Amino acid sequence: MKNTLSKTGVILLYLLLLGTLIRAQQPVNLTGRVTSPDGSPVIGATVAVKGKSNGTVTDNMGAYKLKVSPGATIVISFIGYSPQEIPVNNRTTIDVKLAEDNKKLEEVIVVGYGQQKKKDVTGSIASINSKTIMEVPVTNAQQALQGRTPGIDVINNSAKPGDEPRVRVRGTRSLSAGNDPLYVVDGIPFAGAMNDINPSDISSMDILKDASATAIYGSRGANGVVLITSRKGKSGSRPVVSYSGLYGYVHALGRTDMMNSQQYVDMKREAYRTTGGYDDNNPDASDAKIFNATELANIKRGVNTDWQELLISPGWQTRHSLGVSGGTDKTKYAVTGGYFKDQGVLKLQSYERYNLHVAVDQEINKRITVGTSMLAAYSTRKGSSYNGMGDALKMLPIADPYDANGKLITYPTGDNQQPNALLNYVPGNRVENLYHLRFFNSLYGEVTILDGLKYRLNVGTDLQQNNYGLFLGKNSTDLLIGGGDATATKQSQFVWAYTVENLLTYNKTFNRKHNVGVTALYSVQRQREDSSSASVRGIPVEWQEYYGLGQAANVTGIGSSLGTWTILSYMGRVNYGYDDRYLVTLTLRADGSSRFAPGHKWGYFPSVAVGWNITKERFMEGSTLFDNLKLRASYGKIGNTGIPPYATQGLLGRTTYSFNNKGTLGYSPILLRNPNLTWETTTSTNIGLDFSVLKGRISGTVDVYKQKTTDLLLQKFLPFSNGFDYVLENTGMTQNKGIEVGISTVNIESKSGFNWTMDVNFFINREKILALGEGKTQDIGNGWFVGQPTYVYYDYKKVGIWQTEAAAQVYKQHQGEIQLADVNNDKAITDKDRVILGSSQPKWSGGMTQRFSYKGFDLSIVAFARMGSMIKSDFYATYNTLFGRYNNLDVNYYTPQNPSNEFPRPNSNQERPNNYNTLSYFDGSYFKIRNIGLGYALPKKLMDRWQMESLRFSVDVKQPLIIAPYRQKWKGIDPEDVNTIGIDAPATWMLQFGVNATF
Amino acid sequence: MKKFLFLILIVVVSCNKMLDEDVVTNVTDDFYNTPAGFSTAVSAGYAGLRNFYSTERGMTVSVFGTDTYTNGSDGDFKFANQYTSQLNPSYAHLREIWNGFYQAINVCNVVTTRADAIQGLDSAVKVSGVAQARFCRANYYFILLQLFGEVPLNLKENTSIATEAHRDPVAAVYGAVISDLQYAASVLPVSQTDWGRATKPAAEQLLARVYLTRASSKSAVGTDYDSAALYATRVISQYGFQLLPDVGQVWAQGNERNNETVFAVQYINDALYNSADNNACRFFLMQYDVLAGMKRDLANGTPWKRFRPTKFLLDTLYKDRVNDSRYEKFFKRVWFCNTATDKLKVGDTSVYMPGVDVTDAEIAGKKYLYVPPRNYTEKLYPSLNKFADALRPDNQASGVRPFIAFRLAEDYLIAAEAYMKKGDNATAVGYINTLRVRAAKVGANDVETAAHQEAMKITAADLSIDFILDERGRELVGEQLQWFDLVRTGKLLERVRLHNPQGGPNIEEKHLLRPIPQDQIDRSSNEFGQNPGY
Repeated sequence: MKNTLSKTGVILLYLLLLGTLIRAQQPVNLTGRVTSPDGSPVIGATVAVKGKSNGTVTDNMGAYKLKVSPGATIVISFIGYSPQEIPVNNRTTIDVKLAEDNKKLEEVIVVGYGQQKKKDVTGSIASINSKTIMEVPVTNAQQALQGRTPGIDVINNSAKPGDEPRVRVRGTRSLSAGNDPLYVVDGIPFAGAMNDINPSDISSMDILKDASATAIYGSRGANGVVLITSRKGKSGSRPVVSYSGLYGYVHALGRTDMMNSQQYVDMKREAYRTTGGYDDNNPDASDAKIFNATELANIKRGVNTDWQELLISPGWQTRHSLGVSGGTDKTKYAVTGGYFKDQGVLKLQSYERYNLHVAVDQEINKRITVGTSMLAAYSTRKGSSYNGMGDALKMLPIADPYDANGKLITYPTGDNQQPNALLNYVPGNRVENLYHLRFFNSLYGEVTILDGLKYRLNVGTDLQQNNYGLFLGKNSTDLLIGGGDATATKQSQFVWAYTVENLLTYNKTFNRKHNVGVTALYSVQRQREDSSSASVRGIPVEWQEYYGLGQAANVTGIGSSLGTWTILSYMGRVNYGYDDRYLVTLTLRADGSSRFAPGHKWGYFPSVAVGWNITKERFMEGSTLFDNLKLRASYGKIGNTGIPPYATQGLLGRTTYSFNNKGTLGYSPILLRNPNLTWETTTSTNIGLDFSVLKGRISGTVDVYKQKTTDLLLQKFLPFSNGFDYVLENTGMTQNKGIEVGISTVNIESKSGFNWTMDVNFFINREKILALGEGKTQDIGNGWFVGQPTYVYYDYKKVGIWQTEAAAQVYKQHQGEIQLADVNNDKAITDKDRVILGSSQPKWSGGMTQRFSYKGFDLSIVAFARMGSMIKSDFYATYNTLFGRYNNLDVNYYTPQNPSNEFPRPNSNQERPNNYNTLSYFDGSYFKIRNIGLGYALPKKLMDRWQMESLRFSVDVKQPLIIAPYRQKWKGIDPEDVNTIGIDAPATWMLQFGVNATF
Repeated sequence: MKKFLFLILIVVVSCNKMLDEDVVTNVTDDFYNTPAGFSTAVSAGYAGLRNFYSTERGMTVSVFGTDTYTNGSDGDFKFANQYTSQLNPSYAHLREIWNGFYQAINVCNVVTTRADAIQGLDSAVKVSGVAQARFCRANYYFILLQLFGEVPLNLKENTSIATEAHRDPVAAVYGAVISDLQYAASVLPVSQTDWGRATKPAAEQLLARVYLTRASSKSAVGTDYDSAALYATRVISQYGFQLLPDVGQVWAQGNERNNETVFAVQYINDALYNSADNNACRFFLMQYDVLAGMKRDLANGTPWKRFRPTKFLLDTLYKDRVNDSRYEKFFKRVWFCNTATDKLKVGDTSVYMPGVDVTDAEIAGKKYLYVPPRNYTEKLYPSLNKFADALRPDNQASGVRPFIAFRLAEDYLIAAEAYMKKGDNATAVGYINTLRVRAAKVGANDVETAAHQEAMKITAADLSIDFILDERGRELVGEQLQWFDLVRTGKLLERVRLHNPQGGPNIEEKHLLRPIPQDQIDRSSNEFGQNPGY
């Protein structure tokens, strides 16, 4: 670590010296113009001196000016054109006409354990580059994927600062094991918080989707693989210093529509009217019965408190990064330091992160190259379990938070189930911090043994330390409800993991037609996780927070644990290409996992893929329509480890009991031994088509796939009378099939410099459970049904509200209560009347990015849609109790005078309406504008005068628009959530200003 | 190159060992083969008691849905009182009791199955451990058979992935229960230094209960009432237990280990060894904390208002409030202001339930809330105070006090019932009267006290099974016995219909047994029968 840093320092120094040396030569002033084949100027083309680090960029007229030595060679390059090398030969003017190039096909993309030219790829891989990543202000890499590529479903769990979204590649396939994709950073599997990676340190992300691409990751490839490549220096580039700074104003996207004072008072009266506790002939006496003196006085005074207004305030986000990168022909380096902070709209929630990224690559000699990449992060997350929204929503609008002296009233209405939500904001009452430190390093050494034969050693190390503390003071709302002494919890966790990979690669072209590539791998990965925690009650002095646990009155929980797992792997891959026309890829991976019992440790995962570059066929010669047309097909098996360590071993669980007022420890059998467990296996078939027409004006990819996952790890439930709940078994089966379309177009590319391009993606995935083991067709407890998606909403169906007592009485219910569908028509509501109401699987999803540019201006609009899913809203279940004690959503409830069919009649004799869950299912469709970004880059001339490379100012509006039935029709805020809309920090929008400078 | 490949080979061979998995944090069942492991299995055998006693699940299936208790305004399980269609095989409490008991039975079976093979286990420790495990196992099976009828009977530790399960005849389950308890009674000591461990009298009281229950069942054996009388009277006379002079002291917090307690399920004020389910202190309380002058505090408890006394309990069973002290000892009827209002200062009466009717004018004349029985509601009623728990660390915490599961008063009632059934009403009346006289009010002087005591006495003519049930209601109200007593005596349907307005209209013959949890049926690979009617 220390060595790496000092080495970097030496290299930096060396480069500074190099710059001085160049100036010592006798240069000439070279000028010229760079044009496209049709003669129009190419703006922003790079003109560099070969082998040196100086260069420039063409201006709006395509002109350039560069000091070079008379004998130098210049290199002119621009995206979409073939680079040209031209010797200066003492000339002072060189005009260049660039030739168009289907560079996309020559583009190198990252595949598992290596790189491939795009034209040689046989698998289904989606790639996004750093430009796309930075187009939307994001906290982590996953958010950068949302709506940008087909087949990747990204859902934000909440708007809490520091929360990470859920990512699914081609749907959900496992029922009890994980469904998260495998992340691989600079070649090394990356577990844990993706928040640790500063998105601006990422140069590209490649998402491997089909078996051909993922099978080389064997037992961990079934859920897709996301390959993240961090930024590296460029060889032959002078040191470039870059700074970017952003500041954004964050605002809640709305308020949950709760009752105001009058509405609440009316509702409470109605709740008592329903149970005969409110006499309308004597309203004053009745009010005096149901409201206490404080409440009556407040009603009279016209108190109407909007608790959300008091608790929610504007947040902000800021991000700074400062870096230097460059290289010589032997050395490449990049160093970036980053700072990010997200202050949530609830004061107690924030996320702050410092990043350091260092990448160095050094060619030692023609045969040997070594390098390292280090990602370091230190973050602080506050208030991760704080729920200010819940606090705010249950408070009564007739409660006054402040007394006459402006001091907070502890119980504003006297009800000690409703302590003042603002008390959590008093410093020291509620403290919650998660400190997280991480060093993720990858080192490699590569030796060229023979021509085409290389050996590479990759070593990855990963250190993580988490330190969590939660302190609840006597005056935090959590404790005021119970009225107890201050409590505190402290947890710490240390994770140490390493990966060692030995790779042999051989690449050779025979007879100019036979292109052969072979990759062989042997690797070990091991992780050790050591954690401990303690909870106490009765902190003697509150300023100790969670730093004096030993002095507390009672220990309420204490524990520690150690978990270790290992994977050993062998992998082989053969790529064969004939005449660039026919491509074949064969892979086989063998994984051994410590989690399985002896005899079941090894799993084998093969795949085969073929590709046909149709445009290379003779019959396509002369075709002007297609620049590229490639057909791909793949088939393979991939795995999912699924089980936690030690799951095959029979386990005892601790029981608690006491004798004579002293605790006694017991152990009870809780898990049977089951040595037969094995991997979940996904068999995947993919057919894809890549195309590019009209000289790249329209290009795209279409993929159709079908996956079947077998040996799903399921809890096989046992009759409890034999003493055990379940064993894990490999019994279930699911299927995913779908279609993905991604298209990029260049709509306008005018001579005036106005450009309009567009990326569109669209995808459909259909999940289906095929088997649940032992011929079972449903598992109601888990909500699994054969033939249905993996997550469905299974409940009674609300028909309306009982409008007459006579009709309700048939079902032993009452007028004003929720009427449920009597599905089997047996005149009773029983379990058999529950039905599948819907699923969280969307009918389709899609995303769109529009980019416009004119002269120095650029505008981008990123939007996406997720349509036809169902969502459950906890707001409608939890803050819709309609019994008068707590505030309530402002809903159209039934009364004899208001024969609503939407919500039941308030009733003071029940904590919540019967079957209240049936009120909480909604259409989960939404369309979102994720971001509108406007940028202006100052003209080149000015930059030259200021001796700068570039300077760009930007304004972003993040999430300015959500169109959704849940928002517009049902007055919710944001329907985006995983399966259930939790009560949490409200969704936000942000106005962000930025500056980006390079020198 | 060759060297290089050789190196890889070495690495590979040595690495394969890395795939071995050594358990560190967890414990596997090999631990049971040690003396220390044996003791933890014995302790774990008791933990199942906390699944049932003093818990919402245990109380919901035994307290309301009877003649003495009906539902209050809160809770998700009112259907268990109302006998509506939700009282079906999916009912969670039944599943939890079933699952928890069978898990506990399995660990009891670990003790009985492995005891002989454990090296270095002291033989006295072994015998005591096996007897304790058999006592616990018997109690679990006895509750299961009363709830469900025929249940699977497993007396050996299960270590296999067994998917079959069969219902065993009730008679066989009774046989196993009695055999376990006779063994326990024969080897366990009269008292244990570790209070809360099974004892000889505890085993005998349970035997008395079991015989009394079997006597009126289809599995009855001719001598059952004799056996019930024998064991009940042994507990009464052999071991020095005594009825406390003041019935109000029996459930006083801190006094659970008293002369009347035969066996108590243990809870403790130590979060590391307590259970979150110990909530008897909450269920019986009315919603005082929203009334003027009142806020929630530990002394008054956390009012969850699940269980509300029936009119029958208050007006009929506790009709005699002149001589019988139990209504006033067992029920909280007055609440004192603990948060001042403009009318009340702390310590003033805030709520008072006189227990008799008063006029509206009288109500209006009081500055506190004056509540005659006609104004009782689902959240305003006299609250049973037997389980009050003021020593909880805070109002969100669960209870910390032990639950008296077997107490001497019940032995008097068992003995009385058994003698009555044997035709010896004179002896039966003797036991009843001893118990009733203890509950007599203390008067201003000895003469008054004696008059109250005399008035409490009954004669043989008063004795009937209904009288015994009424007396059980008065004495043991809330103690998780009422539903079982009504089923045992064949009075459940009649009494619920007469006295429980919520459950009465819906109760049917099928409700004499609880439905087998649907999970058990679904999970069995063979046909596992449901109780009729469900």
